[in-house]
Amino acid sequence: MIRVKSEALQPGMMVARDVKNIDGMLLAPQGCELSERQINILQAWGVTEVEVEAGAEMAKAHDPLAQLPPEMLAKLTADLRARFWKPDDFGPVPAEIFKLMLLRQAQQHLRPPA
Amino acid sequence: MTNPPTIKAMVQAVPRSLGSYGPVLLEIEAALQSPQCNLSTIGDAIQKDPDLTARLLRLANSPFFGFANRLSTVAEAVSLLGIQQIQDMIVASSVLDQFKGVPDSLVNKDSFWRHSLAVGIAARLLAMERRLPKPDKFFVAGLLHDVGRLVLLSQAAEWAQKVFECYQSEKILLREAEKKILGYDHQQIAAELLQSWSYPPVLVQAVAYHHTPNQSVSKLDAAVVHIADHLVNAMGIGSSGEQFVPPLDDKAWSLLGLETENLAKIVEAVDAQILAVEEAFLKK
Repeated sequence: MIRVKSEALQPGMMVARDVKNIDGMLLAPQGCELSERQINILQAWGVTEVEVEAGAEMAKAHDPLAQLPPEMLAKLTADLRARFWKPDDFGPVPAEIFKLMLLRQAQQHLRPPA
Repeated sequence: MTNPPTIKAMVQAVPRSLGSYGPVLLEIEAALQSPQCNLSTIGDAIQKDPDLTARLLRLANSPFFGFANRLSTVAEAVSLLGIQQIQDMIVASSVLDQFKGVPDSLVNKDSFWRHSLAVGIAARLLAMERRLPKPDKFFVAGLLHDVGRLVLLSQAAEWAQKVFECYQSEKILLREAEKKILGYDHQQIAAELLQSWSYPPVLVQAVAYHHTPNQSVSKLDAAVVHIADHLVNAMGIGSSGEQFVPPLDDKAWSLLGLETENLAKIVEAVDAQILAVEEAFLKK
């Protein structure tokens, strides 16, 4: 499952989790294949991103960690670890936060902020 | 060896001034007392200070508020953001003014305020995500959460020096070094300062327990600032002197009741807002 920004949605992508508007109205159910028209509706409702099922190719294209050269990924991981207090004692939540930060580092490395 | 100064003594020595925005704040207060008060009298009071006007419009039109370049006059900004919120923002930036003279030798002030603003942004976003009332209060709480460090640096520089020496030689967290050398930490100093400035108790609680949210009487408020601080340290935006990402309190996390999946969105929003907020508050 990957998150795709609404403007990058393509017809044929499969919705991986129900998309609802702020009032809880269902806009696209899990498992449905998006049509052009549905994508327009999601955009009109101001949905910013949708979780869709990932084919192997697409997962790679959307995963910054997979796009980095392995030695760069190792360097970013080591640099980040050095900043955290006792990273060996991480429970599940700090581990998730660490993953999120690594992803952010990778994105910034691939697309440096202007 | 002499004893470290008491928290009270340090806090009492901090000059109480509203800095360069003092006249505007007094004028807003006076306008609010008047039965003829309306949005344009408040707008006029603000507009007498062109620098403040520019900053306010910059912030109002930034992703922080999300009105996307639609506000062109101060009166519009006042009506959409609210007087309370604008007063809070002006008071918050006058605190920045207050510690201008603190030397950069131990803590770089630009980096310190960058960190503080980012924690303010993150705390406000977390409060909005959790649908807590008055999320903007959390911006002020985040902005001021480490102000105790500035009090120490400005009022007892030699003791701050000792704290940093201990921090570096013993490889412990900066807050642990504070407790070891001084017997108290920066959150206790900040609590005393904000209390003496008559800040609302909720805000004092959120700042006073941002490292130990479970000891607070308003645990949830303190938890919001705690988690915001953790996230911003992890993102590496500025620094208040601590080089490590301090540990996350599990209880505070469960109290806030957010999923880790929600964090990606918040982290992205902090990145999107920090530049404009920095420009509004820090640009000279």
